[in-house]
Amino acid sequence: MRSVPSLFRYPEFILFFCVFSFFVAGDVMSQPMIKGKVTGRDGIALFGATVSVKETKSISTTDSSGIFIIKANPGNTIKFSFVGYRNYQVVLGNETELNISLNDTIINLEDIVMIGYGSIRKKDLTGAAASVSAKDFNKGIFTSPDQLLLGKVSGLQITNNNGQPGGAATIKIRGNSALSGTGQPLFVIDDVPLDGRSLQAGNNPLNFLNPGDIASIDVLKDASATAIYGSRAAYGVIIINTKKGQAGLAKITLGVSTGINSILKKIEVLNAAQFREAIQYYNVDSSFDKGGQTDALDAILQTGFQSNYTFAVSGGNENGKYRISGNLLDQDGILRNTGFKKYGIDLSSNFKFLDSKKLGLDIHVNSSQYLQNVPYAEIGAGTIIYSALRWNPTDSFRNADGTFRKNTEGNPLANIEFVKNNLKVTTILGSVSPYYKITDWLEYKLLFSVNYSTAITRNSVNQVVTPPGNPPGTASIRNNELTTSQITHTLHFDKKIFPNFNLDAVAGFEYTKFRLKGFSATGNGVDTVGFGNFGLDYTNYIQYSDLTGRSISSFADPTSDLQSYFGRIILNYKGKYLLTGTFRADGSSKFGENNKYGYFPSVAAAWNIYKEKFFKAGFIDLLKLRVGWGKTGNQEFPAGSAQARYSFFDGGILRQVNNPNPNLKWQSDRQYNIGLDFSVFKNRISGTIDYFNKATTNLLFPSPPSQPAPPGAALLWKNLNGKIQNKGLELLINTSIINQKEVAFNLSFNLTFLKNNVTGLPATIYTGFVSGPVEVIENGFPMNTFYTRKFIEIDKTSGFSNYEDGGVTFFHFGSPNPKTLIGISPAFRIKNLSLAANLYGAFGQEIFFTPLMGAMNVGGISFGNNIGLSAFKNPAKESLQNPSQSPSTRFIFKGDYLKMANLTLSYKIETGNKVFKDANIYITAQNLFIITKYPGFDPEINSDRSINGIPSLGIDYLEYPSSKTLIFGLNFSL
Amino acid sequence: MAKKVTIVYFIFGIFILNGCSKLDEKFLGDTTQGGVASSANTTILLRSLYNSMTSVFTWVLNVFPLQEICTDEAIFPTRAGDWDDNGIWRSLHSQKWAANHDGIKNCFNSLNGINYEATDLLQYHPSNQQQAEARFIRAWVMYLLLDMYDQVPYRDPGENLTQPARVRTGTEALSYIISELNAIESDLPVGPPYKANKYAAKVLLMKCYLNKMVYENRSEPVPNTDNMNEVIGLADEIITSGAFTFSTNYFDNFAPDNTTSGKENIFTLLNEAGSTPHNSMGIAWFMVLHYNQDFGIGVNGCSTLSDFYNKFEPTDKRRGTVYSSAGSPPNPANEINAGFLIGQQYDYFSGAPLTDRKGVRLLIFTPEVKNIETGANNEVTGIRPIKYFPDWTNLFSPDNDFVFFRLSDVLLMKAEAILRGGAATNAGAYGSTALSIINAIRTDPSRGASALASASLNDIYDERGRELWWENWRRQDMIRFKKFLLPFQEKNYLSDSKYLVFPIPDEQLAVNPNLTQNPGY
Repeated sequence: MRSVPSLFRYPEFILFFCVFSFFVAGDVMSQPMIKGKVTGRDGIALFGATVSVKETKSISTTDSSGIFIIKANPGNTIKFSFVGYRNYQVVLGNETELNISLNDTIINLEDIVMIGYGSIRKKDLTGAAASVSAKDFNKGIFTSPDQLLLGKVSGLQITNNNGQPGGAATIKIRGNSALSGTGQPLFVIDDVPLDGRSLQAGNNPLNFLNPGDIASIDVLKDASATAIYGSRAAYGVIIINTKKGQAGLAKITLGVSTGINSILKKIEVLNAAQFREAIQYYNVDSSFDKGGQTDALDAILQTGFQSNYTFAVSGGNENGKYRISGNLLDQDGILRNTGFKKYGIDLSSNFKFLDSKKLGLDIHVNSSQYLQNVPYAEIGAGTIIYSALRWNPTDSFRNADGTFRKNTEGNPLANIEFVKNNLKVTTILGSVSPYYKITDWLEYKLLFSVNYSTAITRNSVNQVVTPPGNPPGTASIRNNELTTSQITHTLHFDKKIFPNFNLDAVAGFEYTKFRLKGFSATGNGVDTVGFGNFGLDYTNYIQYSDLTGRSISSFADPTSDLQSYFGRIILNYKGKYLLTGTFRADGSSKFGENNKYGYFPSVAAAWNIYKEKFFKAGFIDLLKLRVGWGKTGNQEFPAGSAQARYSFFDGGILRQVNNPNPNLKWQSDRQYNIGLDFSVFKNRISGTIDYFNKATTNLLFPSPPSQPAPPGAALLWKNLNGKIQNKGLELLINTSIINQKEVAFNLSFNLTFLKNNVTGLPATIYTGFVSGPVEVIENGFPMNTFYTRKFIEIDKTSGFSNYEDGGVTFFHFGSPNPKTLIGISPAFRIKNLSLAANLYGAFGQEIFFTPLMGAMNVGGISFGNNIGLSAFKNPAKESLQNPSQSPSTRFIFKGDYLKMANLTLSYKIETGNKVFKDANIYITAQNLFIITKYPGFDPEINSDRSINGIPSLGIDYLEYPSSKTLIFGLNFSL
Repeated sequence: MAKKVTIVYFIFGIFILNGCSKLDEKFLGDTTQGGVASSANTTILLRSLYNSMTSVFTWVLNVFPLQEICTDEAIFPTRAGDWDDNGIWRSLHSQKWAANHDGIKNCFNSLNGINYEATDLLQYHPSNQQQAEARFIRAWVMYLLLDMYDQVPYRDPGENLTQPARVRTGTEALSYIISELNAIESDLPVGPPYKANKYAAKVLLMKCYLNKMVYENRSEPVPNTDNMNEVIGLADEIITSGAFTFSTNYFDNFAPDNTTSGKENIFTLLNEAGSTPHNSMGIAWFMVLHYNQDFGIGVNGCSTLSDFYNKFEPTDKRRGTVYSSAGSPPNPANEINAGFLIGQQYDYFSGAPLTDRKGVRLLIFTPEVKNIETGANNEVTGIRPIKYFPDWTNLFSPDNDFVFFRLSDVLLMKAEAILRGGAATNAGAYGSTALSIINAIRTDPSRGASALASASLNDIYDERGRELWWENWRRQDMIRFKKFLLPFQEKNYLSDSKYLVFPIPDEQLAVNPNLTQNPGY
């Protein structure tokens, strides 16, 4: 919707498009009555288009057939306008009939980049930003829209933390600079920045959106582009633009897809035969051979089904447009009894009021609910898979009487049956935005938005699986609510102040409130009675629990308000020289008394070299040099960290829980960027190269406090001296190698080279908990460098692990930060049949594979548990008593991978039918294969093993396994 | 046109002014200093302070490992893959810890949390008794910090926490603790033991005077007669009060109902079954029992060592006895279930012999145990001490009060002070000589050991071991008796003298320039 006014600002936009219009000369008539038809995209008649005569100020509108009649004299200027289309003016000659075809703006969306509080044509862009539109999105069924971008944008790394349906991804733009917090970019939905927190740890905060409602996604990468978002922009900004109504007759679009998924890659443990061999080989109790044959991993896995239905109705005329969409997603997980369901509705409308159409109103409401069943924290996916990997492959899961067999590691099948964790998240995102065009060059806009979500979690564990000594069965209910409300005023100035010299300026004020609160109740089964033998969900009758084991709690986070003033000017001289300056002042209630406001400036310039007269290289269609510098911030620390806070605990206990820091302020990022955009051979090959250098200082750090400090308050949030440097080179190339009517072949690829280094820290910071820290953030090393014992070999005689220096000294060993990211998207088309693929990969990173240390440890067989195949196949026989569960480099593996994320074969059916239009059938394979030497389920993994809020990276702590999916789908419109 | 613009600017201006906020942060589910001052009373804060002690001391893995695992009394073996924990337990027993040791850091932080909370309470206008209780608790944790780290950081009430704390070192810290104890004594109540009380203050003063020579020179402590006489005088005040006598059974002092049956206890932490928040007392038995024992609650961790076990006479009930408490299982095999568990273990309900987790090996606790257990029998090695008899009706939130100070400790300190040059006095029923005092303890029916013929300092040292095992005094005793650095079981070498104090955790050195690393680290 905002693309419309922005286009008004750029009349020269016309240069990009051809306009077909027909001027039919007629006889000079005494009655200058002009008749004609206005058509739009695909020749459809536009109903309600405005036709006006500049000189006489007479106005008319088109009827449902697009026909208009208006009085005009030859020489008059007639203006045609219709929302969603570019204005068109014509000076009337002697003709009496005018058939006008307007060009819609939607097609041109690719050439527009949202830059926050406005948009800009790509060729006028001065910062580093990438824009991906719907046609280039990854195809398939996704639970959240970030997945649409996997591998598509240079400098953007999206790592799915695990394969859990609805699970979170670690999203990093331009490397790793988060010493604390998530390090994820700011997400902006249309004009509404999100809180970014997920109500359920480990879930994706964007789950509430339907990927099918997304029109385009813009990724703002360098500080000159992001600085307009100030203290929340340090990790980049991702602007998600939802689809809007298009004028014209009502159109309904339907999409149906259905698919099956299964595990992408297994972890190798012994099968029954190998286990029998191993009993002999390790000379353990022969009674461990229970005579059967089971595959415990298979027993808890399933082939999941998924289906996705979407519909959208859109239409309208110049005075009002609408789009209503609905979606239903039902996805089974590949672990039994797990899955994800989502229902959503999205409604957007735009209205224009007054004869002059100067007053407009945009309304957007998105409402969704998702239901998720996944194993929860205490007996999580990792624990269940752990129990499966360790399950004796000769043993059956049930006793003769049908009850579950127990062993010390838990029965995986019983766990998956009897551990329930149901999450229901309901989200409403609503915004209302009236705007008024005060003059041709000045527009005022107000935006009010509310984003509310509530998560209800109901957990229960049946007494069948509660460990001995623990109360028989537990149930808990938790409810959290997250509310963000925002009001934004902007004033937008856009005028040619001198010939060839345009000034575009925005000034604004914004106020945002963040609120989080919740409560929970937990109860345990009564001794000898248990919790439930009635086949019911315990969380439906929690009062049946033991009186003494109960706990209740509630919380409300301290208020968190953000108040901002911001502005931007863009100077444009002849489209050749462009200069952008932005400024934002952010005041936050979270900041300390002494640092309430942070100031974030940026400046950038671009030079369209190809427009210079001296530039003669005819094969070059575009050559633009960009330089930019900016300062951004990060304020991702908990509210209530700046002043002394006393909290209430069970049984009338009140104590201080934090170490207040009145000097606390935002983390500061300074980044410069040099970029080159080019396009050659009639735009057959185009691309972008960017070099960036980003320095993060005043590091927000949950520091150990200087003792004595409040008990249990392990952290003092402060701004630490030290610098995290991220440098990199990004390359994006789009080629159109064959581009003919019958045959086409396009290839896009992107490459990112990253370098990360830490300097100036007063002391080494430890994180990555694997029975002790295994990662350091240390001067002279990349972030989260592994630091552990150096494993040499299994001693051939003793069977014990040999370590460098006996394991007393720790060594730096590899880094979980990839050095190279790659994305490749080839696309073929022969007539109506097309084949598109997307591969992405990351190279140069190491992963700590903890299952080899724990679940697959060879010592397990002395208890009759299964062990890893690699340990068994190792020529050096490892002693069963080898205390090998010490972290060491033995468990660090190269994490390089290349994934065939997406392969889609689709066929466009030309029905020639007036009812069915745009029909398209397709088959998509998601995660078809992965090329890697990594022994785990998936090297694309990131378990949260943070210590005191310092994030870990690249640790595989046995997570929900990744899946591959095959999908059949059909899209059509009426 | 200009008018229109003016109007809109005006509207715009109003919005900005309306929206303009001072950005004050408000608490919705917590409260501020002001909120505490106006709405909370110091009774709440004092109760919370006691509860902080509960959460630190009953979570046995805070102070216990530093005071006991590094001694000849306790070992926390790595059992194949079990209890590796990045080597933190092994390095304690082998006396090879460094300044990044997690346990050393956690203990420092935990004790200082109490130090902070006790100090913070003082800014909210407590009554005389309340401030005396808070200051006693602070003196107690400061004493432990002095003993372990030789450096005691401190703050004033309401101090800015972004500033590094100031630090008192060695004897300066000791003098401060002594002056605090003297200052508050008159405001302290006489009891009960689970409150900071006059007698607890006297015991702590005795500890200060007895160990002063150590804080003056940890490698070569030299006793001073005046200090020993202080110890004796304080002991006599406690003895003659008549408030404390031997319990009927030695293990009554630690049993679930020790609030009433533990008649020797001078200072404890009250635990009420099922209702005391942060009561982790159950770890006392979880950390030693094998996985298969009883409700399957054990985690098969700590043991004692055979050399230490062999210091007891077989008749000494402190080594082990058959005990029962309300709700405890029938124990049909009449097995020793309090004290040191050794040999075959039985199901206390059925009396059937237990096996290890592999199901093939009988659960026979062996006397010998190594710091790294790599044998196939790694689960069953080591003698398991049960000092706190499990509260079988509340294994996870038990009734056992945690014990800090006991009468027999007072008596043994007096005996030691006499042998170290103090003037012998006659108080209570324990005689006036070190020998009579030791024998009064040993021959009491609750102990049942034989009388010694003579009492040397070495006898005192051994008796303290037998009497106070696993009560967090062994490291201090070994240092005072100059035994700590000598070789002992599973540490067959002389340790560097730097290990007489723990290092200041790296993390604290980084944030507090007033701390300096202890020599050698």
